[in-house]
Amino acid sequence: MTRLPKGGLINRDTRLDFTFNGRPMTGHPGDTLASALLANGQHLVARSIKYHRPRGILSNGLEEPCAMVTVTDQTGNTPNLKATEVMLRGGLHVTSQNNWPSVTHDAGSALQLGGRMLAAGFYYKTFKWPRDGWHKRYAGIIRRLAGHGQIDPSADNALYDKRHRHCDILVIGSGAAGLSAAQTAAHAGATTILIEQDHVLGGSLLFSRNQIAGELAADWANDAVEALQDLSNVTVMSRTLAFGQYDHGQILAVESMPADSNARAILWKIRARRILLASGATERPIVFPGNDRPGIMLGGAVRSYIRRFSVAPGTRAVVAVADPDEGEDTFAALKEAGIDVRAVLPPGAAITGTSGRLHLRSVGWRDPGGKRHRTACDLLCVSAGWMPNAHLFAQMETGLQFDGTTQSLLPPDTSGPLRPIGGARGILNTADCLTDGKAAAHQALAELEMHKHLNLPRPAATPAAPGFDSGTGKAFVDLQNDVTRDDVALAMREGYKDIELVKRYTTLGMGTDQGKTSWTNGVLEIATQSGRDPAEIGHTTYRPPYSPVTIGALIGTETGDEMVPIRHTPFHRAFERMGCVFQTSGDWLYARYFPRDDETMQDAVIRECNAVRNGLGCVDMSTLGKIDVQGPDALEFLSRLYCNNISTLKPGHVRYALMLREDGYVFDDGTVAQLGDDHFSVTATTANSAFVWRHMTKFAQVDWPELDVTLTDISDHWASLAIAGPHARDLLLALAPDFDCSRDGFPFARLREGFLGNDLPVRVVSVSFSGEPCFEINTPAGFAETLLERVTKHGAGWDITAYGLEALDMLRIEKGHLSIGTEIDGRRTADDLGLGAMVSQKKDFIGRTLLQRPALQASEREQLVGLTPEDGSSPIPHGAVLSDHPISGDGRACGCGHLTAAIHSPALGHPIALGFLTNGRVRTGDVLWAQSPVSGQSVRVRVGPVCAYDPKGERLHG
Amino acid sequence: MILLPCPNCGPRDEGEFTYGGPQRQLPSLDGQSGTDDWLKALFHPQNPRGPMVELWYHASGCEAWIEVTRDTGTHEIIDVATNRLRDDKQ
Amino acid sequence: MGYSGFSLLKHAVTGNRRWPDVLAEPEMRASYDIVIIGGGGHGLATAHYLTSNHGITNVAVVEAGWIGGGNTARNTTIVRSDYLLNASFQLKHFALKLWSDLTQDLNFNVMYEPRGYVDLAHSDGELEHFTLRANAMQLRGADAAILTGDSLQQRVPELDLSGAKRFPVAGALVQEAGGVVRHDAVAWGFAQNAAAAGIHIFQNCPAISFDIDAGRIIAVTTPKGRIACKQVLISVAGSSSEVAQMAGVDLPLTTINVQALVTEPVKPALDTVVNYNAGLSYVSQTSKGEFVLGGATDGYASFARRGSFERIEDVLARAVQMFPFLSRLRLMRHWSGSADIPMDGNAIMGRTPIDGLMINAGWGYAGFKATPAVGWCMANLLATGDMPDLVAPFALERFANGAEQDDAGIGPYPWLH
Repeated sequence: MTRLPKGGLINRDTRLDFTFNGRPMTGHPGDTLASALLANGQHLVARSIKYHRPRGILSNGLEEPCAMVTVTDQTGNTPNLKATEVMLRGGLHVTSQNNWPSVTHDAGSALQLGGRMLAAGFYYKTFKWPRDGWHKRYAGIIRRLAGHGQIDPSADNALYDKRHRHCDILVIGSGAAGLSAAQTAAHAGATTILIEQDHVLGGSLLFSRNQIAGELAADWANDAVEALQDLSNVTVMSRTLAFGQYDHGQILAVESMPADSNARAILWKIRARRILLASGATERPIVFPGNDRPGIMLGGAVRSYIRRFSVAPGTRAVVAVADPDEGEDTFAALKEAGIDVRAVLPPGAAITGTSGRLHLRSVGWRDPGGKRHRTACDLLCVSAGWMPNAHLFAQMETGLQFDGTTQSLLPPDTSGPLRPIGGARGILNTADCLTDGKAAAHQALAELEMHKHLNLPRPAATPAAPGFDSGTGKAFVDLQNDVTRDDVALAMREGYKDIELVKRYTTLGMGTDQGKTSWTNGVLEIATQSGRDPAEIGHTTYRPPYSPVTIGALIGTETGDEMVPIRHTPFHRAFERMGCVFQTSGDWLYARYFPRDDETMQDAVIRECNAVRNGLGCVDMSTLGKIDVQGPDALEFLSRLYCNNISTLKPGHVRYALMLREDGYVFDDGTVAQLGDDHFSVTATTANSAFVWRHMTKFAQVDWPELDVTLTDISDHWASLAIAGPHARDLLLALAPDFDCSRDGFPFARLREGFLGNDLPVRVVSVSFSGEPCFEINTPAGFAETLLERVTKHGAGWDITAYGLEALDMLRIEKGHLSIGTEIDGRRTADDLGLGAMVSQKKDFIGRTLLQRPALQASEREQLVGLTPEDGSSPIPHGAVLSDHPISGDGRACGCGHLTAAIHSPALGHPIALGFLTNGRVRTGDVLWAQSPVSGQSVRVRVGPVCAYDPKGERLHG
Repeated sequence: MILLPCPNCGPRDEGEFTYGGPQRQLPSLDGQSGTDDWLKALFHPQNPRGPMVELWYHASGCEAWIEVTRDTGTHEIIDVATNRLRDDKQ
Repeated sequence: MGYSGFSLLKHAVTGNRRWPDVLAEPEMRASYDIVIIGGGGHGLATAHYLTSNHGITNVAVVEAGWIGGGNTARNTTIVRSDYLLNASFQLKHFALKLWSDLTQDLNFNVMYEPRGYVDLAHSDGELEHFTLRANAMQLRGADAAILTGDSLQQRVPELDLSGAKRFPVAGALVQEAGGVVRHDAVAWGFAQNAAAAGIHIFQNCPAISFDIDAGRIIAVTTPKGRIACKQVLISVAGSSSEVAQMAGVDLPLTTINVQALVTEPVKPALDTVVNYNAGLSYVSQTSKGEFVLGGATDGYASFARRGSFERIEDVLARAVQMFPFLSRLRLMRHWSGSADIPMDGNAIMGRTPIDGLMINAGWGYAGFKATPAVGWCMANLLATGDMPDLVAPFALERFANGAEQDDAGIGPYPWLH
């Protein structure tokens, strides 16, 4: 064990058991998986993706490029986790990735032998033959080699949620700058949220030996956090990763819930007036030959493992830390852990190589005088400097600028809502971070008019110390994607010089670590190799999320049948009791059919159709859009909106009406009913109701504000039940209306208002989709069940039959009535649909002008026709294409139209279909082919009228 | 998610609104407007990288169509108004 | 270029230090016969076919950024031709034929993988419509099948058809020739071939203005100099309005943000490309192991290349309906592109009112799959002056004529397409 005897932010009283590649290990609460592995002496954690080189733990945070593992707990396996980001829990089973048969003996490491052949871009240059070789042979092999961990194929049963928060000032990060900013904001009375990705607040203060206000930094941080938590205007959130900045001050963050929570994670959507980004900085590795061996670790990570986690990450160390103060601090930390420091590399030294198969054994280096050294060690502490974590800034703003003094990509000054502070803008010492946090918070408070403007000076970014040189050899720039210095050189040599092309050609920075440790080194490599100033190189766009986020958290509770809310009609519960089978139709759950006993759908639908044709049926029409139109200009408004004549309508009358889009194509059909002189009620189809509503309100509010008209969406106010069939009027009379319902008193296409049985308020409309006598009874939605009960009770004598969407569709196809999405598909003129006569020649209306365009008036357009099988009985296949000729030998046929609907008509006793046919109306009597190669059917069909059943409409008035 | 300052309701998330496209000047419906007028109004909207006046419908709010001047390059909201003609009238 | 296993070995021996610069930037000439504005997939494909089909090499490609950096770099790499409208189908079908041979034609592995494109229907009505599409495709010579129940489950074993689903799956249209192509490789392969044949490609070189004389284009000005030319092709997805405006041409389109995302890479877990239709979500797994997903546009005008996270949430929720295991995976990166969406949601190709100025625009978020066919056809138009039949239906004049090609039947509301 390499656990130190005392100290650290771990709870030694509790032991957590876990396994690594099957080997039992232990750790303590407060450990990350990485610190626990190190405490168990485990340095080799995984193999690399391309060359399967042994890899260990480089860092102590989200930037980790190497230590990739799959973690199994009681909820399943999660692949691709970085050992440094996993809080240790008892019972975890951890396995290494990218190795077979084991991480110590990995067959894939043979790939290193092909090293130079597998250089950047190699797969673009090969695997080209035979012709389908890539797909049939190579892709499968490459795919199996690529990818990191294995998915867990089982469903994820963990709970997730999404929540919102708002505040004046959001502080992201709880190191010196963040705590100082949060204190300043909170004490000025601003509503303040402080979020921290780690489970303990304090950031790098947690392993600093600095003093703040006379206390050890970690103690000061602890006190500051406790004081903030006591304030009512402050919310402190730990374990919460701010992963993206979005428009207008929105930050998205994901909170990982502790092991004892019933949820795994919560997505927070935080809207803040100002955001202070105190996300610190990431330490930059050094690029040198053999820089990827287990045992090579960032200096800051070493200090953190020793002081925060109380682990000795090695026994004999070499220090190569550029910043002299940090070098000293690293040396001190190593000493605290009793680690033998074998060498401290002076500035200007060059690291020439390393040895060790599965763990570092020695480092070769050359001092500035040119003398070569080889130092045996199992720990190499490296640091070339620091890189500000300004990703959230760069996601929204124009970008970061390379700064020669700090040798890093720095955020420029900004007036946007998000301001990088402290380490995120290159400030590395604690005192300056405290000052910067306070100054930035004051600036934000002043802008929000919550404090007088103090205009406190902001400290400058910390200059970089001279770094180390490197020998030649296989030096990794991107440790996760195995991108070497030579790969970068090769990409540029081949012409892929732009940084975006280097990235894509080599995959530099495209790994799951998002290039956190590799990106600045990549920029510097490109600059060095091209002899350009790094400031000219630029950088690629920073994309959210800052670090990978579990998809479950982004979905929250929107899973299974709760993904989108379901709309139910007011009859839903009653229909459920009737054994209705429902169907999803857009947002709605709609009655599909009402089986009796163990009827099949087909039998039920035929029964339902026959009931409507021969007796009495009732159907739910509540999903239709219903819009109330009132005002002195209501008639003018509707007249402009519909293409047919509306002006001759009278109170109590109803008319079928057609609405065109501005471009002249048919948009929607429905009815217009006149209730009073200035009062109308119109319907829109179910599918289009929201669109029609917006279409109408837009005209009323935006385009024709001069019209005095008020629109009200009353779709949900009314329950609508249509009673249809030869006995519809008998039933209406039996419902005891207080208005005249005689044949003369209430003919077709009229509207009547009143009461049924003196107490049930109704609007009854005599319109018909089925072609049978029909009354659509509308009642306020709350009375839906009362209406249904009475209709059922009084209709019993005629064996009233509830019918659903399937029968409704059959009945309308028999009548050749139109349906949205099938016949009215957004590409048809009124004339195409056989409704050309409805288009008024006497008035102007929406769509009139553009309907005159030549192609809309062309003679060769497809027109709606009816079709029957030539032999009178062959079923007509669904979705068939119409052709004049049979399918030729090569399986092709030239289409001249297609079907929109095909059924076996219960009323006619034979198959019928509707379809579009070029010049269809002049082809009545012609025989064509209805071709459905996907079902192997090909049927001869005869062109006929659109309306197959009761073409004269006698039943309607009968 | 952009934040639209509805003149009636205050700042609200984009999710409460439905987009209505760039502002348009529909030709009059007096039988005098020709194909070109309609083509221009309907088929050739402004499409600038920069400020543009557009229509948003506050569906989950006041049900008003509002005119938003927004920079399409940055999403900055520059101005917002309810329909001016209608406001003048009322 | 001579890329082969042998060349890899040969260069490996010399430490890869002798690979040639295949994209070396030449001296810009004062004039070219043809200037192609836009070094994306479409522009570079046009350049390639100008040389390979027509022997024309006096061509400059000017690219404002880096090659393949626009929508070529921002799409979800899906190729397919499952369209009902004939014009839409024919162009993409021709593209599929070209995709299947492109690796050999370019001697550059573009990694066309016909894994099958599976389009899910969520009701019997929708499936009937898909059946029509499948029939039309077959009768025009494409592969298409309708699968339901067990046959669908067998074809896509990873697809979850069990349990409570908000929008149950009624069946699917499957096009086996559909699949994915490596997007970057397409731009690079075309660019390398065009450059090797002598076409000049200039990066970081935006077109700044046009010289038009008596209604005819005569030159393009760039920061690297003025280029006299006989013909210009504008092929600048996401900036089409701006560039066409420089010639006074007003395009009937709105530019809208479209987003895509990838998960962390994992070992192979999905072999097909699957599209969910109750709210759009299309999913495939790349050769690198990432799941790549996309959806509909953000629905409002934007050039910001930055979108609303709600679209990402929508796309993921639908993907998890299909593949519940995705819930455990992690979102690694999401990004955006600017889609120029015309009034009928379909592309605008061909001549403009300015003589010699050709346009290829308005591909919305459907342009990648058509790349080689667009290049082939536009090269044909530029080289011969004859309008290819495949391009004619997409002429700019169609809006004035009323001959829209509206696959979705949505109408002149680009934000709804």
